[in-house]
Amino acid sequence: MKSKLTLLFATASLLGTGTAFAGETMKATVNGMVCAFCAQGIEKRLQKLPATKAVFVDLKQKIVAVEAKDGQKLDGKAITAEITDAGYDVVKLEPVAGTVADVRTAAKTGK
Amino acid sequence: MKRALLALFLSASAASHAAPIGFKDSWMLMADLAPSWRESSVNYAFTARDALGASGAWLRSDDKRVTREAVEVTYTRLAKRWNLPHAQANLWLFANAGTIRGNDFAGSRTLLSPGVQADYETTRVYLAATAKLLRAKDLNHDLASVRAGFSFHEADYDETQPWFVVEARRMRGLSGRTEVTPMLRLIHNRWFVEAGYSNMKQARFNLMYTY
Repeated sequence: MKSKLTLLFATASLLGTGTAFAGETMKATVNGMVCAFCAQGIEKRLQKLPATKAVFVDLKQKIVAVEAKDGQKLDGKAITAEITDAGYDVVKLEPVAGTVADVRTAAKTGK
Repeated sequence: MKRALLALFLSASAASHAAPIGFKDSWMLMADLAPSWRESSVNYAFTARDALGASGAWLRSDDKRVTREAVEVTYTRLAKRWNLPHAQANLWLFANAGTIRGNDFAGSRTLLSPGVQADYETTRVYLAATAKLLRAKDLNHDLASVRAGFSFHEADYDETQPWFVVEARRMRGLSGRTEVTPMLRLIHNRWFVEAGYSNMKQARFNLMYTY
């Protein structure tokens, strides 16, 4: 019984931790982003932000998704500044549900 | 012939690539290779709009009697960029200076080659026009080139994208012919490769790497 309770407690703690500290994701719509070099520059700069866990660039839909590390918040102004510094224009920046992997899957499937 | 080769080499680095600089804090390596000339260059983008670099080249006339060696310091400026929803247009300025040597004259000559390029690009279409002055003592070989191309399909960032590109270029007072080169271009992530064969019966291979 004691071991079952311990397992139950540990599982609940892990689940709780995952929910409470899951990283947020932001999606930017970017004008002028038409080539692989554009994507490379944007990705490289965003990866250097301290809160960044993952970045996804989609040239077809002209979107950039950034996911925060667990327990950290993304700075929208910093994301916009980095993309602008790379030479492109952010026309829309919004938080989205899910992870960068989810955004990638949605982009690939056209959803 | 030797003057045509000289202009050919000088037009190559600026005109043969999609964008002549990368992104802020990036390095760009470029190489243009053909039987009659070998050129390599590197630049560093210290802002999103400015890059400083250097280039070096070795040239040889088709009869293999005349050779040229040139070294330049290069400055490239993105004067204006228009970021559109599905396209990008740019106006570039070039200010290059260096020295040129040859086996048919003594010593070296100061070389100045300012230029301008306008281009327009989507994920499927590429258009560019370049004009460049080439001035050195007893040398005046201004040149112009245009490029047009299309990609066979759209590609994701992590996929290889093939393009078909045609370049036409002409140099004032030089060969008197317009060189036309159809090329296959492959872009993948940090790599950019072009290979073609011109109506002047010259094979060309261009390479660019950005990091």
